Amino acid sequence: MDPIKVPLPLPVLAADWSAPAHDFHAFTPVSAAVQREIEPVGPHFLAHARRKRYKRTFSEDER
Amino acid sequence: MSDSEDAAPRVAIGITFGNSYSSISHTTVEGRAEVIANEEGDRQIPSILSYIDGEEFQGTQAKAQLVRNAKNTVAYWRDFLGKSFESVDPTPCHQSAHPIAHDKTVAFSIHDSESEEPNNVTVSEITTRHLRRLKDSASDFLGKQVTAAVMTVPTNFAEVQKDALREAAQNAGIEVLQFINEPVAALLAYDARPEAKLADKIVVVADLGGTRSDVAVIASRGGVYTLLATSHDWEVSGSKLDEALMDHFAKEFRKKYNTAGDPRKDERSLAKLRLESEAVKKALSLGSTASFSVESLSAGIDFTATITRTRFELLARAHFAAITRLIQSTVEKAGLDPLDVSEIVLCGGTSHVPRVATSLQSAFPEKTVVWAPATRTDAINPSELVARGAAIQASLVADFDQEDIRESCHPVVTVTPHLKDAIGVLAVSGDERGHGKFVPIVLASTSVPVRRTAIINGPPAGGDVLIKICEGSKRIHVEHKEKKEREPVEADSDDSDAELSEDEEPIKSEVWHTERVIAEAALRGVAKGAKIEVQINVGPDTGLTIVAREVGGKASVRGSVPAYEES
Ligand SMILES: Nc1ncnc2c1ncn2[C@@H]1O[C@H](COP(=O)(O)OP(=O)(O)OP(=O)(O)O)[C@@H](O)[C@H]1O
Ligand SMILES: [Mg+2]
Repeated sequence: MDPIKVPLPLPVLAADWSAPAHDFHAFTPVSAAVQREIEPVGPHFLAHARRKRYKRTFSEDER
Repeated sequence: MSDSEDAAPRVAIGITFGNSYSSISHTTVEGRAEVIANEEGDRQIPSILSYIDGEEFQGTQAKAQLVRNAKNTVAYWRDFLGKSFESVDPTPCHQSAHPIAHDKTVAFSIHDSESEEPNNVTVSEITTRHLRRLKDSASDFLGKQVTAAVMTVPTNFAEVQKDALREAAQNAGIEVLQFINEPVAALLAYDARPEAKLADKIVVVADLGGTRSDVAVIASRGGVYTLLATSHDWEVSGSKLDEALMDHFAKEFRKKYNTAGDPRKDERSLAKLRLESEAVKKALSLGSTASFSVESLSAGIDFTATITRTRFELLARAHFAAITRLIQSTVEKAGLDPLDVSEIVLCGGTSHVPRVATSLQSAFPEKTVVWAPATRTDAINPSELVARGAAIQASLVADFDQEDIRESCHPVVTVTPHLKDAIGVLAVSGDERGHGKFVPIVLASTSVPVRRTAIINGPPAGGDVLIKICEGSKRIHVEHKEKKEREPVEADSDDSDAELSEDEEPIKSEVWHTERVIAEAALRGVAKGAKIEVQINVGPDTGLTIVAREVGGKASVRGSVPAYEES
């Protein structure tokens, strides 16, 4: 998929900002997911099924 | 089936088998999906079989027999498959062979042979005969024997119904590779156009047929589809539009020949009235007037009349409103607002009716694209959409083993976690200084794993940048305009809404709300006017990996957020 283009600017980092390590601070996991069924139809589903079957990530799948 | 590897290669087509019409489809060598015309030149083949002196007729020829040979003409039975007589609604069969109880299933008692005695022909057997004719038409067209098909079914077609359909197809020499949901097939047909762009969007597919209307709200995420809500309605459909015209012409007839009796009271007259009314309805989808003409409609009197599209729209007004309401209520059922709907795909024959599409367009926000012939010149023929999708899927799975296809469709593969909220970054909005504005990158109801990328402007002066990853949700902001006379209209409000605002229609807009901060990252020393690429990778367990980097620069930062663990 094409990248999303966002015309708004990102904020400037505050001078006193700090992180535990490597300039990255993880606060909280994303909300618990909802189990739903995807439709087994179309080329993108087939790619999903292939990745799942061979336990590949997106970039492994592209190679 | 399992020995398909040794046998000749499969020849797979798409088949849509509706209660009213069926279609056969294939993909060309160039990979384009195409609906096949049968020997009579029909791409929408009436799902009707009729018998005269033991000879079988199908499609348009069989449909014509509804006038003279209704008792030996079988129609509108698809939904009876896999059901008991007690659980089916025989209403659509009032003017053709009546369904009867037979063992645990449904049958028709018809003279399908030269013998004096009628035979009880089960719904399963009728389906086999119909599918065999479809298969033969496709084989004739392709010049090779069709052996397999992807078939489409409504989203509420039960497992036992699919089993019954699979068996009936098997008996016709068709290996069903896969059943796919009709609305998903329709959406696939649009997404397969060469000019189509992959996107994340909410699409409503409204399949408006002859005896039923089915609506599905689908989260389409990079070409992966999830059904969020569905509805089914047997009260609004194409046959109801025919009936509005039948009533109209019957009344006109009686006005003119008041002693001739009501053509609706005689079976043959009623059948003629119905067939011609359907033809008039179809003609009104193209032209602004149409003529009705039936020889010996009733009491030996030939009847001709004309009708305008405007008149028809008035007669069927309540039905158009009902279709719009059905679609609106399904959006509501999915927990969404009309503003959330990017596109409405209209499929099924009734989607040709211009007023259906234009009513819908005015009931939904202007930015919602309504795909129908009346609203978009580049719309795909709604009668062909589902069949085209079936052909595309058939070409995708034709070379797979049955076992592989079955495994791919298994819940182990299809049931996946979907994000509850959107994931995105905070940007600086022009006016609300100091407040971040949530920019979604991965939308809610996206199945994981998933990867999405955004290109965002850096701060105008460059320097160190804060990448604040958040969860956000969309809210609908409703502004009730106060009635102020003589107050100048806001510059950005639309003139065409003038009528609505007079009715005090509230103004709705989407507002993103930041739910929680997931992570923060610092991207240091980016150039003035730099563009920043933020990539969000959501793992199969919803764990995140975030990579932000300056496009064409050296600055980059990467981090991960482990998934939520249930304790
Ligand atoms: N050009 C047209 N204008 C208006 N109505 C049309 C047009 N073409 C077909 N129809 C109507 O569409 C209906 C058939 O829809 P469709 O071909 O989708 O059938 P179906 O899926 O078999 O229907 P169902 O299963 O609901 O009975 C019929 O009522 C038919 O009169
Ligand atoms: Mg249909």
